[in-house]
Amino acid sequence: MIPLWLIPLFPLVGTLILAVISISSSTSKKGANEGLVGGIAVLFPALAFLMVLLLSFGLPDAGYRETLCTWFDIQAIRADFGFLFDGLSRTMLLFVTGIGTLITLYSTGYMHGDRGFARFFAYINLFLFSMIMLVLSDSLPLTFLGWEGVGLCSYLLIGFWNSDLKNCKAANKAFIVNRVGDLGFLLGMLALVSVGGISLLSYPELAAWLVNPAMGEQLMAGMPLLTLAGLLFFFGCTGKSAQIPLLTWLPDAMAGPTPVSALIHAATMVTSGVYLLARLSSLYAILPEVLMVITFVGLATAFWAAITGLLQNDIKKVLAYSTISQLGYMFMAVGVVAFDVSIFHVFTHAFFKAALFLGAGAVIHALSGEQDMRKMGGMLKKTPLTALVMIFGWLAIIGFPGFAGFWSKDMILEKLYVSDPVSGPILYGLALLTAVITAVYMTRLMILTFLGKYRGDASAECHIHEAPASMLIPMLILSVGSAFAGFLWAGLIPGAEIFREWLAPVLSTAQTMALGGVHEGAPVSPWIFAGLGTAAALIGIAIAWKLYSGNVPAPKDDTVPKGKAADWTFFFDKFHNICGIQETRLVAWFLDVVVNRFIMLLQWFVGAIAIILSDGVRTFQVRKIRLQMGFSILGMILVIVFVALYGGSL
Amino acid sequence: MLALIYFLILGVIAVGGALCVLLSKHPLYGALSLVVTMLSLAGIYGLLGSPFVGVVQVMVYAGAIMMLLTFVIMVLNGARDNRTPRFDKISLFVIPAIILMALMLSFLILRTPLVFNPDTARGTVSLTAATLFDTSASGPGYFLLFEAIGLLLLSAMATAVILAKKKLGSPETSDSEEVH
Amino acid sequence: MELQPVYIQILALILFALGIAVTLSRRNVFFVLMGIELALNAVNLSLVGFAKTLPAMTSITGQIIPLFTIGVAAAEACVGLAVVILIFRSQDSVDIDTYSNMKG
Repeated sequence: MIPLWLIPLFPLVGTLILAVISISSSTSKKGANEGLVGGIAVLFPALAFLMVLLLSFGLPDAGYRETLCTWFDIQAIRADFGFLFDGLSRTMLLFVTGIGTLITLYSTGYMHGDRGFARFFAYINLFLFSMIMLVLSDSLPLTFLGWEGVGLCSYLLIGFWNSDLKNCKAANKAFIVNRVGDLGFLLGMLALVSVGGISLLSYPELAAWLVNPAMGEQLMAGMPLLTLAGLLFFFGCTGKSAQIPLLTWLPDAMAGPTPVSALIHAATMVTSGVYLLARLSSLYAILPEVLMVITFVGLATAFWAAITGLLQNDIKKVLAYSTISQLGYMFMAVGVVAFDVSIFHVFTHAFFKAALFLGAGAVIHALSGEQDMRKMGGMLKKTPLTALVMIFGWLAIIGFPGFAGFWSKDMILEKLYVSDPVSGPILYGLALLTAVITAVYMTRLMILTFLGKYRGDASAECHIHEAPASMLIPMLILSVGSAFAGFLWAGLIPGAEIFREWLAPVLSTAQTMALGGVHEGAPVSPWIFAGLGTAAALIGIAIAWKLYSGNVPAPKDDTVPKGKAADWTFFFDKFHNICGIQETRLVAWFLDVVVNRFIMLLQWFVGAIAIILSDGVRTFQVRKIRLQMGFSILGMILVIVFVALYGGSL
Repeated sequence: MLALIYFLILGVIAVGGALCVLLSKHPLYGALSLVVTMLSLAGIYGLLGSPFVGVVQVMVYAGAIMMLLTFVIMVLNGARDNRTPRFDKISLFVIPAIILMALMLSFLILRTPLVFNPDTARGTVSLTAATLFDTSASGPGYFLLFEAIGLLLLSAMATAVILAKKKLGSPETSDSEEVH
Repeated sequence: MELQPVYIQILALILFALGIAVTLSRRNVFFVLMGIELALNAVNLSLVGFAKTLPAMTSITGQIIPLFTIGVAAAEACVGLAVVILIFRSQDSVDIDTYSNMKG
């Protein structure tokens, strides 16, 4: 039996070794040996993936649970380093470590020649360590450790090229907005503890407590607090997974290198919010109001982000808004108590979004840094393999039949329809409309980038080359994944439900508890859903073809949208500005001017007292001895009076 | 009764001498007044049954110490600074303080009941000598203290010589003829 | 009216107060020394006065201590006058207010 703590240990060791290499080579001119660093950087995530693979065969239903040691044990609270490897964490770990290894391999090619090569991989390994800790832990405090860790690594990696102020600001924004969400996480933990004590912070104990019939009364009494806890945890998830209202950081996070966007902001970190909700599935199953909020927020986010994606000109920003939109789909699935479907979409999304991002990175690399889609075009002939990868990813995301996104997205739509007799079809309709818009903007991206004539600078045209092998191999593997990963749970093919069986031990109790009487089978045949989904994709392709395959106007200025498009895109930034940032500025001004001056006044006051007292005492130090003796006699008189009055005893 | 009259007379003389010390301008007048005070105090000692102390007071205090003081006053011409005022602002502050202290101490003294003891020993020479030197039956005497006083006097003498000594060949030896 | 011990103490107190007054309010250095001698005398008187109120065994103490006090006063007068002569050589004045190097 392999101990569970080996899995996070490998990336941690990698971080330490790479940190040492990076610091020791920081004064040299060219930096560390890229081959050595790249080898170490890919080795440790690969080892972690190997561990996960070995452990995932023959996994018992309840999973493996291991406690390494006590983290802290003070009177009020106690937390352990405990690991839980059940079906849910196995699924998450498989694609986290797998895709992590592939993207690390890709980065060895993408970051070639960068001075901070070793530093980059140290951060990547630290990120993988934090993500593994997040997924593998068996209690909320340890998950929070990983949660904060991925937030930190997101900051470090977004602001990786830190000589440019724009990148630093984007990194700050990501970290601060995440932090606001973390407040929700912490308060949620507090609410849980105040309902049922410290033991509730550990997942298996929480699940047991919630289904235990003996706890019925306590449960009823603690309902308001539990609802509050549910809302607070969801607030934390909106921060990490970029939902309304805390989504403004994700588009700005595209300032980091493309592998970072692929790994963190497409495949792994942003899905940790969905993972948390799935872990707390038994809690959410008894909170229908919170689930309604989640569904609504997910739908609004998906719709808003889809329209915003349509208005962008930067290829990475389109993909960023696409990520937000797909995350909205995942939250919608959570809202209708279809946790396993949501995790399935996380799984397939990881493949095709990572493929899309890596492909976009290869395009940017080929065009020597050009990111404006209006200046691209005709890349299909010039970089055919990259185009193939992106086509696979494109087909997956729009839900083309047979590709990964088709299975997962259609299942989400189906679950939306059957969730409620009245509101279900409305949700279904709106989600279907969002799917159409998704198809439109993704097709627009493909058309502008790959078809037509090349519209960029002629000087860059001769440098266009296909990506090197270190970048191509991961992309191709991911594209294969985005094509075939969906078959792990192909709803239309009977017997192909391996994925659901993987997750059933963990999530089925919650789902059956919540759904109760609603039976699994839909009143409508699943083929109709499949058909409607395909139709949405094809309609989207047609609209985009009609609108965008004509002549593209030459761009005059930078990629930021202008006018009404800017109002829509930066709506939430303005919202944050009014709600939080102006107030903070006011408080800061107040502290600086008023409170600071007040404290200076207090300090002056203390100093003045000392000066006055000492000046006063100084008058008793006289030049003439006779006067000094006179003062002594006066003092003696005082002592005599004192002794006479009190008889010598104080 | 008689003792009281003698005591009053001697007391008045003592206080009068002290007042003259306080109010006189010339230090020599002050020194002589002080001698008068000491002589009257010697008388009071005799009245109180300590004749030995009284005689020692006359011999040592009035005879030696005041002579020394008078000698130094005359050598250093102590009256040279006649422009020094007798009383100035500081004495205006000091004298009321002293009066206040005296009043308080007198208040404390007057509250204590004191009675003459009829068994008091009369301090004759033999008794004093026995007390000082006899270390046998009547307890250890003040022999050690006596010797210590002797040492103290010796060291004081040596100190005075060393302090006031003029070095041979120093500038002071040459201009000691200067007329003030 | 008999002679009471309190009278002796009062006389001693008056002489002591006068002695300190002389010390602290005169500016001539010799008067300072004279005042100190006066105060010492007053203390001696007080001691002898108290000795008379005690029985024989302990009263002898009150008559021995004045002897030692007189001896000490002699030593102190000797050294004090030597110091006065020493200061007089450098300052050339008998005004004690000019002897001080203190500031303030």
